Amino acid sequence: MRSTQHVVEIENNPGNGHYSDPPLLVLASLASGPKHGHAMIEDIAGMCGTRLGPGTLYGAIARLEQQGLIEPLPPEDRRQPYRITQAGLRTLGAKLTTLHQFASAGLKRIEAL
Amino acid sequence: MNRLAAHLLTSLYPRRWRDRYGAEFAAHLEDGCGGIRAVTDVVRSAIRECISPTQGGNMEQPVYSFGGVVKRPSAFIPIAMSLTAMAVVLARVALVGTGPEVVINGRPDEGTVAHIWQLLMACQLPVLLFFAVTWLRRAPRQTLGVLALQAGAVLAAMAPVLYFNL
Repeated sequence: MRSTQHVVEIENNPGNGHYSDPPLLVLASLASGPKHGHAMIEDIAGMCGTRLGPGTLYGAIARLEQQGLIEPLPPEDRRQPYRITQAGLRTLGAKLTTLHQFASAGLKRIEAL
Repeated sequence: MNRLAAHLLTSLYPRRWRDRYGAEFAAHLEDGCGGIRAVTDVVRSAIRECISPTQGGNMEQPVYSFGGVVKRPSAFIPIAMSLTAMAVVLARVALVGTGPEVVINGRPDEGTVAHIWQLLMACQLPVLLFFAVTWLRRAPRQTLGVLALQAGAVLAAMAPVLYFNL
């Protein structure tokens, strides 16, 4: 999965622990149900404090859709909701597992200091 | 963000991207705040989309290989012209040598071979320019590779002229 790295909001400073892998954040947001763009932004902001910019969000959406990891649902008024696909769920699970292992190993090293 | 600003920002994206996401993206921008960070983010993303378009899937964006680009007439014709120019000069050197220039009606002339060489080199310039303008946006990496080939062919055509001081 290609990462679209730029994120508009780093409210405090870049080293404050915000996670910025937009495609993964979008997948994680859609894992709790279909959402349109603004709902994803708010959900992601609540989940990890990262507020995606509109260009970054749609860059991630375009690439995820192209990879078949998310798919559009019928539009609601002017808003376009998306949902995660089975392939998207598998990718999300694999990535989060890797991240979990990485985080666990890293935290153990910090504790050992 | 007002509708005009949203429309302007959306228009920064390539046509294929706008065909798929333009309407919903403009609506998304209109519904959101239009701060400088959002504008910067959109401009940056649009530039990235122009340089490295989202490909495949619903985008219907063709994938260009280097071989596919180099087979385009505007790609290989300048190379062929440069190689022909080089061959003409080398043939002249092989058959006639690097002797003095031709004299026609009492006036010195560069000779037919020199004129052919100049025509071949000059006529390929608009083709080369057309290729660069047309393909740099579609397949920048592959196009740069072909342009390097074309530049190499031009240098190869110039090399014998400079070497033999023709």
